[in-house]
Amino acid sequence: MANNNTLISVQDLKVYFRSSHECARAVDGVSFEVRKEETVCLVGESGCGKTVSALSILGLIPIPPGEIAGGRILFQGKNLLELDEEDMQKIRGNRIAMVFQEPLTSLNPVFTIEDQIGEAVRIHKNIGAGELRDCCIKLLKDVGIPSPVQRLKDYPHQLSGGQRQRVMIAMALACDPDLIIADEPTTALDVTVQAQILQLLKSIQKTRSMSVLYITHDLGVVANIADRVYVMYSGIVTEQGNTAQIFYDARHPYTQGLLASLPSRSKRGKRLYSIPGTVPNPAYKPEGCPFHPRCPHAISTCSREHPEMCDYSKAHLARCPVLFESANGYK
Amino acid sequence: MISFIGRSVIQKIITLFFVSIVSFLIIHIAPGKPSQVDPMNPKFTPEVVERFQKEFHLDKPLHVQYFYFYKDLFTGETISWKDNQSVINKIWERFLNSLPLFIVGTIITWTLSFPIGIRSAIFRGQFYDRSATFLSYLLISIPGFFFAYVLIIFVVNQFHVPVIGMETFGIGEGASLPHIFMDRIWHLLLPSMLGATGGIAVLSRYVRSQMLEVEGQDYIRTARAKGLPPEQVHYKHALRNALLPFVTMFGLILPGLIGGSVIIESIFSWPGMGRMAYEAILARDYPVILTVNFVSAVLVLAGTFISDLLYLIVDPRIRL
Repeated sequence: MANNNTLISVQDLKVYFRSSHECARAVDGVSFEVRKEETVCLVGESGCGKTVSALSILGLIPIPPGEIAGGRILFQGKNLLELDEEDMQKIRGNRIAMVFQEPLTSLNPVFTIEDQIGEAVRIHKNIGAGELRDCCIKLLKDVGIPSPVQRLKDYPHQLSGGQRQRVMIAMALACDPDLIIADEPTTALDVTVQAQILQLLKSIQKTRSMSVLYITHDLGVVANIADRVYVMYSGIVTEQGNTAQIFYDARHPYTQGLLASLPSRSKRGKRLYSIPGTVPNPAYKPEGCPFHPRCPHAISTCSREHPEMCDYSKAHLARCPVLFESANGYK
Repeated sequence: MISFIGRSVIQKIITLFFVSIVSFLIIHIAPGKPSQVDPMNPKFTPEVVERFQKEFHLDKPLHVQYFYFYKDLFTGETISWKDNQSVINKIWERFLNSLPLFIVGTIITWTLSFPIGIRSAIFRGQFYDRSATFLSYLLISIPGFFFAYVLIIFVVNQFHVPVIGMETFGIGEGASLPHIFMDRIWHLLLPSMLGATGGIAVLSRYVRSQMLEVEGQDYIRTARAKGLPPEQVHYKHALRNALLPFVTMFGLILPGLIGGSVIIESIFSWPGMGRMAYEAILARDYPVILTVNFVSAVLVLAGTFISDLLYLIVDPRIRL
């Protein structure tokens, strides 16, 4: 559990969205932790609860309809879920910053780059106007934007997609946070720009010795950037381990299915594998293991009992007792 | 920028030319005649009718009449057929009467709609929002003339003040200046409030929906993720974007100066532009109708031009 090295630890987090006639259990008991100076990836398909988990760390879930139904989020010894709005504001953007998916819509179209970056600095630090400007220029330089002085007066629509995302990252870096949450920051960008942004995040994480919680559905990105990986499915973590364990020794049928559906050189010319079925509706999840209707290894108990995490080796856990028993049976 | 202004001024002049032709035609094609040239009118002998027709070029073909009319308009010599007074002077006098009503009404509408609409959006679904919604639908559905009479009865019974007209009849003699001033204000209050109620109901709903749409945008989430307090998120990041469409509307309220409100001016016997235009139509007083028509066309075009310019200033994405 939480040791001195842990920066943030999310424990059994439950986030529900209620409407008049149903309750969508978007996040249903998720636990993960990010240690100091490491990059952790939350992986899963759309709607599995990764973004909701990240947003609830910053208290950005709209309540109502959202509702934090349980769990704790420990950050530097404090439970973020118990902080009031004012204390939360001191953490947002200051200790924990976030980079969003769509850089165009995530920047306010009517304010200049300088306004938007400067605001992030000013809100948390007591700083003079001239100093603020220098600070903005330095941040833009740090994220690799050419001729930053000229860019200060630009509006978001005058920048390219990659530059906009760099501005978002500069905003996130404004107060030198301990943790950056990046919610699919490269999804809206083309592949070459994507590689540049990943490179940038990696180098920033090293030079500033921060932690990064990276949310993505792209396994290629995960392999490139992650130290440790949490695979999520339908609001729960199904498998966790370091990158090598997940990619070379996947133990959960869902992870195995995901990896099997990646294109690779050896599968050239063949049909790609796809996991049959679709992700369950978060309001009507199947009983027992949420993956059992699509699972090739499912047995009768899978539809009755909620699966427990099974410990394979050093911090490599998978939520599939069936495979765990058969694997241990061989030994 | 300059080329945009030049281009749009030329376009607007061309539009104005067509508007003048169409409105001239419509007035003359419409059934009915000015009473002065109506052969059924027992007050005029055929000789008088003929003289009148000659004097006002009514015996000439339409395009010649058109030419005479707009020549008079631009030289400021148009006179009303009803009372032989200069139309420009008549309109100017009525315009000065309508102006305070319009200004006070507009100020009330805009200063109340925005706080109501913005607060409704921020507290959406809560008590404040629900009561604001209920009130605005109530105000939209009550007919203006009915509401006006209810208010008049209430104010007169409750405060014993005269509310009809622009000032108390015969107040001019011997009253002190502050007294006259306050009397004017009293008379102004009720009609301008009535004129504003409908506007407040509609505009505050519109502000609310604009604000709600903006509050759901990604950049609002970004602003919150920066650690900004809610007031700054709402009133800086959201409001600035929600205001954009209203800048356009601000130019378009200019024509309201002329149209005013015929109903309210009639109920309160307010000698304003709307009532004058309405009476001119009933009397087939062509010069007055056409002049009012022309002036309002100019105001509409000027309004759209101003809103284009304002948009240019407030929205950084629009550049020429």
